[in-house]
Amino acid sequence: MTSLQLKAEVEGFLYREARLADEFQLDEWEALLTDDFHYWVPAGRLEGDPAEQLGYLNDNRARIATRIRQLKTGKRLSQLPVSPMRRTISNIEVVDQDDGTISVKANFVIYEIAAQSTGELRIWPGQAQYRLRRVDGSLRMSSKWVELVTAELGQRNLTFLI
Amino acid sequence: MGIDYEQLVRGDRIHASLLHDPEAFADEMERIFVNGWVFVGHESEIKEHGDWVTRQLGTESVIMVRESDGSVKVLSNRCSHRGTALCWEQRGNDTSFQCTYHNWRFGLDGSVRAIPFPDGYDTPKEELDLDAAKRLETHRGFVFVNLDGSAGPLADHLGAAGYELIDRLCDLSPTGEIDLSKGWIAHRVQSNWKLWPESDSDGYHVGFVHASMSETTDTYYDEVAVGGEAVRRSRAIDYGKGHIELDWRPSYQRQLAWLGTTRDKVDSYCEALTERTGTESAEQMLWDGPPHAFLFPNLFLGELVIAIVEPVGPGEMIHRHTSVQFQGVSEDFNRRLLRQTEAAVGPASFITSDDAITAERIQAGISGTQRSWADQDRGWIDLSRGLHREQIDETGVRSSDASDETTNRGFWHRYLELMTGQVSA
Repeated sequence: MTSLQLKAEVEGFLYREARLADEFQLDEWEALLTDDFHYWVPAGRLEGDPAEQLGYLNDNRARIATRIRQLKTGKRLSQLPVSPMRRTISNIEVVDQDDGTISVKANFVIYEIAAQSTGELRIWPGQAQYRLRRVDGSLRMSSKWVELVTAELGQRNLTFLI
Repeated sequence: MGIDYEQLVRGDRIHASLLHDPEAFADEMERIFVNGWVFVGHESEIKEHGDWVTRQLGTESVIMVRESDGSVKVLSNRCSHRGTALCWEQRGNDTSFQCTYHNWRFGLDGSVRAIPFPDGYDTPKEELDLDAAKRLETHRGFVFVNLDGSAGPLADHLGAAGYELIDRLCDLSPTGEIDLSKGWIAHRVQSNWKLWPESDSDGYHVGFVHASMSETTDTYYDEVAVGGEAVRRSRAIDYGKGHIELDWRPSYQRQLAWLGTTRDKVDSYCEALTERTGTESAEQMLWDGPPHAFLFPNLFLGELVIAIVEPVGPGEMIHRHTSVQFQGVSEDFNRRLLRQTEAAVGPASFITSDDAITAERIQAGISGTQRSWADQDRGWIDLSRGLHREQIDETGVRSSDASDETTNRGFWHRYLELMTGQVSA
């Protein structure tokens, strides 16, 4: 596979992942994850050992499953109704390929309406770092780490899939 | 003509205008956060000489710093010359504080050390020192200050109950010492700050606001706060001075429920605790766990989470939390506490994100209420739940079913005392 073909495949994956998250297609989003998926949003830069830090979220596979189950109860007040939201992704770079793991960085901006309370427009800029690998021929995500530009300032509710 | 707080805070209800009125907010910043005792931080955050952290006490920005003699000082984060903020990061280490405007330099103790071209001043030097908290006292590393020095000793504010609640938490650490240096997470909420002492100590809402969590995962809150039986066993307690607790102890069905684990998984912790406190005491502590309590006006002891309520404006606040870390336990044990904290508290958590939404919905509901409505029987918030069955012991401590609003009334009772300056016996 040429690097252009790989880049096209990676972009396709990221766009799909973004759309599923924006649209709360939770089962389809979860199907993109590997069994060892790790999801991390630190309260600072993406550096150091996640296990040693207190972050906004630090989910292993079991906890992200719980997070999705909670959203699906229909009683999760902070996503009742779910936030209307759209994100754009850009500056996609395949930064490394090692032993079948593809490391990707991309910038994103999410526009979210806090429909559950104040109705304000919330803007979430940042960088996402993904690790992808091929399972049964198609790409899956084994980690998604998110560095928010506002990481050190504190956040409003962050109960959608970022 | 100021606000008539006695008209707006009654024994069984409060007026909703107090949750958004800018004049009330300004009064609170002065009478509660400047004239009274407030929690600042923990000594473990500033271990080395010169370590400092910035913090908000109401609307006042302060620096908590470890002096070269090892003592702790709380300084206003404001140059004594023209008012420039001296520190604008959350933490650091320095031998002095230098203002970037005219390069005035201050010692860690806030005394002015160097002024460029000093012959321009005839002012006595000590008048140019930084403002500092007039009273500072600590208990087991918890740093409290009274900015203007008018509040009397900390013991009068905390009372025996305040000390006992902090002790009950710290005693669970095998060394008796806890560490709060993992950093604080800020959850920004569009609500009045007073909604959070209420939410943090409200035992009535758990089964409703947090139903999605109960249905999704096993949590000890199901045992202590969800359903009719649990809320009858657990207790809502008002110790006086605004210090309040939801006492889960009568509801725990097993040891270590509060840690979400079982003994075999944390064997070495249990042994270490027993070694320090003795078997009988340790066995009881493993049942009881840490308190779920609010110390007036801004410190939440949320079992193994510590949170600060930070007012920003009448309709804006920050709930700032960190994870309790024990000393003398394994790395794995403290990591468990970090993960437990992330699950429970903060913007992406399974629990308090739903409290934040609730607070924002209250704010939306009350934002149009007017102070003048009080005598038109309009715009009141009812806090009467459980008044008829509340018990008062010989020391004045009130308690009732965990779902009763004894805790909420306790908060507002203290609020009224401080806002009117009339402290009842």
